[in-house]
Amino acid sequence: MFPNSLIQKFTFIPAFVTTQNLQPHGLRSLRCIETSDFFCIYNLQCRLAGHIMSEMGFAFMSAEMKRSYYEDIQPLKGWPARVWFVVLVAVLVAVPFVIKSYYVYVLSLMAVNVIVALGMNLLVGNTGHISLGHAGFVAIGAYTTVLLISGAGVVFPVALVAGGLIAAAFGFILGIPALRLEGPYLAIATLGFGIAVTIIIGRVELFGGHMGLIVPKPEIAGIDFSGDRALYYLVMGIAMLMGFAMRNILKSRLGRAFHSVRDSDIAAATLGVNVARYKTLSFAISAFYAGVAGGLWAFVLGFINPGLFSFVLSILFLATVVVGGLGTILGSVLGAVVITFLNLQAESIQHVPVIGEVLIWISQNFMTVSGLPNVSWIFTGLILILIVIFEPLGLYGIWIRIKIYWRTWPF
Amino acid sequence: MISQIILSGLAIGSVYALMALAMSITYKASEIPNFAQGEMAMISTYIAYVLLVVQGISFFWAFIFALLFALVLGLALEFVFIRRAKEPNLLNLIIITLGFQMMLYGLAGWKWGADQRRLRMPFSETETYDLGGGVVVSQLGLATIGTAVVLMLIIWLFLRFTKLGLAMKASQQNAMAARINGIRTNRILSLSFGISSVVGAIAGMMVAPVTTLDPGMMWDPLLKGFAAAVLGGLTSLGGVVVGGYLLGVIENLFGFYISLEFKSVVAFLIIVIVLYVRPSGLFGRHYVRKV
Amino acid sequence: MPENDFFRVEGLTKRFGGLTALDKLTFSVEKGMLFSIIGPNGAGKSTLFNCINSLYRPDEGKVWFRGKEITGLNPHRIAAAGIGRTFQNIELFANMTTMENLMLGRHLHMKTGLFGAAMMFHRRSRAAREEMVHRERVERIIDLLELQASRDKFVSQLPYGTRKVVELGRALAAEPELLLLDEPAAGLNNEEKEDLIFWIQDIRREFGITILMIEHNMQLVQDVSDRILAINFGKMITEGEPDEVVNHPEVMKAYLGG
Repeated sequence: MFPNSLIQKFTFIPAFVTTQNLQPHGLRSLRCIETSDFFCIYNLQCRLAGHIMSEMGFAFMSAEMKRSYYEDIQPLKGWPARVWFVVLVAVLVAVPFVIKSYYVYVLSLMAVNVIVALGMNLLVGNTGHISLGHAGFVAIGAYTTVLLISGAGVVFPVALVAGGLIAAAFGFILGIPALRLEGPYLAIATLGFGIAVTIIIGRVELFGGHMGLIVPKPEIAGIDFSGDRALYYLVMGIAMLMGFAMRNILKSRLGRAFHSVRDSDIAAATLGVNVARYKTLSFAISAFYAGVAGGLWAFVLGFINPGLFSFVLSILFLATVVVGGLGTILGSVLGAVVITFLNLQAESIQHVPVIGEVLIWISQNFMTVSGLPNVSWIFTGLILILIVIFEPLGLYGIWIRIKIYWRTWPF
Repeated sequence: MISQIILSGLAIGSVYALMALAMSITYKASEIPNFAQGEMAMISTYIAYVLLVVQGISFFWAFIFALLFALVLGLALEFVFIRRAKEPNLLNLIIITLGFQMMLYGLAGWKWGADQRRLRMPFSETETYDLGGGVVVSQLGLATIGTAVVLMLIIWLFLRFTKLGLAMKASQQNAMAARINGIRTNRILSLSFGISSVVGAIAGMMVAPVTTLDPGMMWDPLLKGFAAAVLGGLTSLGGVVVGGYLLGVIENLFGFYISLEFKSVVAFLIIVIVLYVRPSGLFGRHYVRKV
Repeated sequence: MPENDFFRVEGLTKRFGGLTALDKLTFSVEKGMLFSIIGPNGAGKSTLFNCINSLYRPDEGKVWFRGKEITGLNPHRIAAAGIGRTFQNIELFANMTTMENLMLGRHLHMKTGLFGAAMMFHRRSRAAREEMVHRERVERIIDLLELQASRDKFVSQLPYGTRKVVELGRALAAEPELLLLDEPAAGLNNEEKEDLIFWIQDIRREFGITILMIEHNMQLVQDVSDRILAINFGKMITEGEPDEVVNHPEVMKAYLGG
């Protein structure tokens, strides 16, 4: 089987090269190819060859054949992507029926963190800012949503969006000083914002002080979404919708403007990009995502208090996007999944057969047994460092490597 | 009354100033805000505690050994982790320091648990001196301020007059030129981390007797120190010291006259306002990119 | 009457501390012209462009464009008024592909808002249609400048000469009425320079753009310019037809240092 595929690869190459020579002007000339059946097959072969060549690192031959400009911006381009997407959705729908309810809760948390990471990545990865105060936006979204429902009797979907919008307003305000700040200066300004939000929420009676608030049941049109599974479907659906929306934004005029501000704000301005507007806009969108995620998080947890939204949470959000991969949607998703898992499950390293026994032995002889749960901190910290040191592109970079490895297997 | 509050502000301000100084030394050398600074100081303070209280070594030697440990810890952070980063960018480096911070925090919690301990110093907190006009200062407070001033003087002299200090300055300003002139910038970088770790450790040993010794004790001083450094301008060593004292005094005044509850908020609020007016802090230079 | 001129700079002055980079500079450019500015290093040429673009704020003087004063407007407003530019040291968006760089040039002409962009789920959605329309325009520029091979590459991977062309293409994509070229030939080899001359003439013919160009290469300046302004120490030496200016004694002195 493998020798056969090898032969196929190499027989496709000449065909591909010839069309490239005939079609130096890109897409427009390719449209006429579609008219002939013969050329259709030809085109298919070319695509395959182009694919293989690109994976083999021959960038100069890698131009894939496309039928329309739309294919560059199309979500789920090509049938393999669509098939995988359907499989993914099917798995996500089926999974709550297979696993324990605790893990359904874990998956919901992951979905919530994916939403925060998407927004965070827009700010950090795509616009090139830094934020150490995202927990503040999450807190604002969570408290707004809960108070609107339990205090003002607003319906759940409206309250959720309102939470996002209020957070976005705060993001916009924080974005104004951010226009003039860079690097560590911006870090400390956002950090101050995050801490201020937590302290103020903890001291004000309306927000329940240090005890926090009990979260009401989420209801949409009379249907109760408070069950583990129902909530999981809701959160997962919203995360997926927001993920696609973010993808579309990044592929559009706005996404390019964000990137241009990151790479060279001077050149961006001379091309008519309103740099100030896009910087504040990226703060606002990022905060909107964090706010909506905050609202959902409140329902997943069932309670909220100021202690949840500490500086450590902001750090974890930053770590999520850096570890996942800056500026990519997939990076946000991978980062959120891995960091959430580590955050919840790092302690179970004690239960891993050999390592756990060694750890317990060390605890008994050198350390304190009561301090054993702290091992999870060491473990998490070490994993963050290792990922960042050995793969600067984060988990996304690892994913790309795996993909290339499999596609080009015999080589 | 007001001078009393300012004085106690200066005492806590010394801690902020030292943390800010530690932050600034690494930042100048590497442009990394080192978030592990606080935890490195915490671990070093624990070492001092173990030597002093558990092993019963004299205060002087415990202090020296703890500082040596801090130096090694700083060198280790640079040599083991920071230097290994391929194609480092600011965010990756920040994550490395945050990861290191988590590891140290976990290690301290594992070894010593979350119990709050006391680090006994030869200076008493209850014995006070009257400076006249009703202004009282505790022995510990005086020692804190004194140590900070002496340490700052030593650092200033070191950077100004020693060959190594000049080499540090040179490689901070232009690493490439320094390397061409035969300065081993790599070692200078390690050394910056080592020195700042020592400075941080001294701050930690000043904090521990006032509050308690526990794994989370350096959180607040770290953030305030970072804030003070940014307030002062990060790259100006004199500026960050002023920023530290300023922050300590303002915070104390606000806490006494207006609201103790929102003391921490005001520190960051001031910083946001100052940064809005002066984007590179009070004493930092602002560089505009040319095209 | 400055209102009648297409583009006019009047008494423009810019000081950096004690240094006067631009000293009461006055000139005007007619529509459709290729107007070159020459002068030795440090004569204030790039400062002039930066003042026109509002990257610097001039201390005195005014800039008029199509009958309106544009002095001190925000840089993006000046771009919207129809002035595009390239940079001496290439200011491309290094982590974007050639295509994305050129598409960013279309930014001013696109209207998609936040909500429209987020809802770009279908090929008939407004955002997607707009994207395709502008993609068509960008393809035309790619064909003109023969950038097909680097279309989908990140600009940080491209050789220097190609990057210069991409930057020119990006400025063209914005369809400016006045294009400021800051040393377009600097760092190019002879073959690339010849291509450049050819393209500049092509651009003028196809797009009808007025060009204001800073250039050191005398051959290139003489070949393509309609009028030349020579400056030194921020002051005007002379202005006129290419041949007169190049042979002007003061200009020769400034260049040869005699």
